[in-house]
Amino acid sequence: MNDSPILSLQHVSKRFGGLQALDDVSFDLQPGEIHALVGENGAGKSTLMRILAGVYTEYDGEFILEGRPIRLQSPKDALNRGIGMIHQELSVITELSVAENLYLGRQPLTRWGTVDWKKMFSASEVELARLGFPDIDVRRSLGSYTLGMQQVVEVLRTIISGARILIMDEPTSALSPGEVERLIKLIDVIRQDQRSVIYISHFLEEVMRVADRVTVLRNGGKVATLDKSSTNVNQLIELILGHELTTTAHNAPMTQKNGQIRLNVSHLTSDVFNDISFDIHQGEIVGIYGAVGAGHFDLARAIFGMYRTHSGTITVDGHLFPHNYSARYAIKHGLAYATESRRKSLFMEEAIYRNITLPHLGKISGMIPRPARELQTALPFIKKVNVQPPDPMNLVGKLSGGNQQKVAIARWLTFPPKVFVMSEPTRGMDVGAKSEVLSILREFGDQGYGVLVVSTEPETILSVSNQVIVMSHGQIVAHMENKNLNKDVLMRNL
Amino acid sequence: MSSQTETPKLSPLQRIIANLTGTSFLTGVWGRRLTALAPLWTLIAMGIFFSLSSPSFLRPINLNNILSQVSTLAIFGTGMTFVLLTGEIDLSIAAVAGLAGMIAAYLYANLDYSEPVLLVIALGTATLMGFASGIASTRFRIPTFMVTLAMSLIAAGLTTYISKGRVISQLPETAKFLGSGRIGGPDGIRVLIVVAAVSLLVGHLILRYTRFGRYVYMTGASKSAARLAGVNTDMTITAVLTICGFTAGLAGIVSMGRLGSAQPDAVPSFLIDTIGAVVLGGTALNGGRGSMVQTLIGLLIYGTLRNGLDNIPTIDVYLKEFITGVVLIAALIVNVVFSGKAPADRSV
Repeated sequence: MNDSPILSLQHVSKRFGGLQALDDVSFDLQPGEIHALVGENGAGKSTLMRILAGVYTEYDGEFILEGRPIRLQSPKDALNRGIGMIHQELSVITELSVAENLYLGRQPLTRWGTVDWKKMFSASEVELARLGFPDIDVRRSLGSYTLGMQQVVEVLRTIISGARILIMDEPTSALSPGEVERLIKLIDVIRQDQRSVIYISHFLEEVMRVADRVTVLRNGGKVATLDKSSTNVNQLIELILGHELTTTAHNAPMTQKNGQIRLNVSHLTSDVFNDISFDIHQGEIVGIYGAVGAGHFDLARAIFGMYRTHSGTITVDGHLFPHNYSARYAIKHGLAYATESRRKSLFMEEAIYRNITLPHLGKISGMIPRPARELQTALPFIKKVNVQPPDPMNLVGKLSGGNQQKVAIARWLTFPPKVFVMSEPTRGMDVGAKSEVLSILREFGDQGYGVLVVSTEPETILSVSNQVIVMSHGQIVAHMENKNLNKDVLMRNL
Repeated sequence: MSSQTETPKLSPLQRIIANLTGTSFLTGVWGRRLTALAPLWTLIAMGIFFSLSSPSFLRPINLNNILSQVSTLAIFGTGMTFVLLTGEIDLSIAAVAGLAGMIAAYLYANLDYSEPVLLVIALGTATLMGFASGIASTRFRIPTFMVTLAMSLIAAGLTTYISKGRVISQLPETAKFLGSGRIGGPDGIRVLIVVAAVSLLVGHLILRYTRFGRYVYMTGASKSAARLAGVNTDMTITAVLTICGFTAGLAGIVSMGRLGSAQPDAVPSFLIDTIGAVVLGGTALNGGRGSMVQTLIGLLIYGTLRNGLDNIPTIDVYLKEFITGVVLIAALIVNVVFSGKAPADRSV
């Protein structure tokens, strides 16, 4: 690989206020090369990707495209110069046909100025056959195809619109194993077509299959660029985490398996997760780790009755729940749930105490709520979780993220549940708030609740869980006791 | 984290205030209260303007007129406030009102039903239509905008069918009493105004002081958050539409009594006037913000504007509609600016 690179970044740095997001990173891409970018959350992948795609236009260092230094003005400018981006959230329009999606915004026209459907359909068919997808019916609506197929169409559209460099951000996180295979095949076709791909992924096994070279980022700096032939998954994990990190194993809490079973999930299956089974015992904290799109957030939602399942059962303290119950039913039978999105679960324009008492109004004062009694009920718990400032009249929208999370937790302490389900309990919090929330979770465990923690942050899972489950593509891929576990074990299992 | 839990101490006075207002004295919540009262300033400004420009405006007779002019709207507005607070809408109220009136009049004039029975049938039908809208919307996830639009066709169609296009002027005594009766002799207070006041008051008590009222606000503020807290949002929406059906039926019977006949076609302006008045009071169309007190203020603004223009002789009659529209938009802008909501909306 000594040809002249099609794209290269030289000594690129980018700062956000006091945070050095990228520090003197150099990167190059050969024609027909699949180049993977790996690193932890916050390592600088997204920043680098956004510079490459023309989203960030202010940075230090040089951007050289086909031997000429340039500066991209916008994502559109990037696409005009042949750099296309495939986001995690697809930008296809499922109501339109496949052909319309392929030629979105560039439909061939007749001389009357109307869309030339015949030409568009035949051109679509030709292109799809050339790129290895002769079976797609270009007249069918894209929505009738699976998510994996929609993604393929988005990739093909980007190619048809002239991209020679494709940036793919976590392209496989929401795909089923079969769909992953298809995408890998498509990437092979792209390579043979002498186009290049910058491939960003958490899944190192996949990276080792797809990529020609791998660049590892850590804390905004480049650690190494390696040929695939000269590295392996273990080495990548070491480089991603850095040696000093792997040796500091998190203190694994003691398992207390003697209690009764609080929550039993058995063969639970839905659109996005498949055959999920596990138990949570009294006083036990079970952590489910997975990348975005692994299906674990929807699993948490399903346990709380807010996501439809096809089959499987949920039992709380020996009580078998009916199929597809409501959140109301779940609350009544001892479940509590704090979502990954505080914005969607709290009332930002309401006082703290009202957010806390809403699920329990009936128990507090029957049909006629009495604010004084609500205040008296809520205040001890506002203090207990240490909301700052501890004024129950404050609007939730005025609190910091960490304090909002504490309100979301305090809501369920007033009438203790049997099982507490939490998604991303520490997302977006500073270190102090994080450790406070984690210690509240541990205290739940000590008090005999069952706790389910669902997260994309390995630190959070490792520091509170007794049992760790790893989910990937909607399946449980590992279930282990939190003994001598550390981040590399989690990442290796992903 | 402190593990001991102290019981908070509230003085008896604080407790009473908290129970009455849902707030404590010690906070900035009162500031929020004041901004919600922006429509009140609009009402006062309008009152001053009209009393300066027309000597007849402030006479008791005229003020009484304003009240009876907005009374029918107040009954409609009670139900509509509930519906708008949940973020939904009911477009069927005018047609449902027409139907309820027509049923009552038809049963009385043609079939000789006794009054309590026909009133129960008429109001029951209106209530059921609201309930049906609610069920259709929540069960099948059809927007209330569409469901109630269809329901208004159904109600209007039934009215035409029952009446066969004829006006019925033989009305039940109760309807006449509610619509044009007076309490305490010929100079006494109009029954209509009393009915409207009771309707608003009951609505206010339910919204402000019951658990259901709390659910109405929370459903409108964020359906997802309400559901996560175990609120049955489908039931709440069905309930507010049912209430709205009932108040529409009541308003229909009252207005029939006021006009002196049951008409085969609904009065379409009822719908627009009701929504207009409620929104003028500051109740948000997308739910979560507003109150019955604000609806009362909105109704008074609306009544004052219509009546005030009538009292200025120099205004061209043919321009009145136009001026009303312009002033309404101005009033709405004032509301938005004063309550500081415009810059707060950062949605993309």
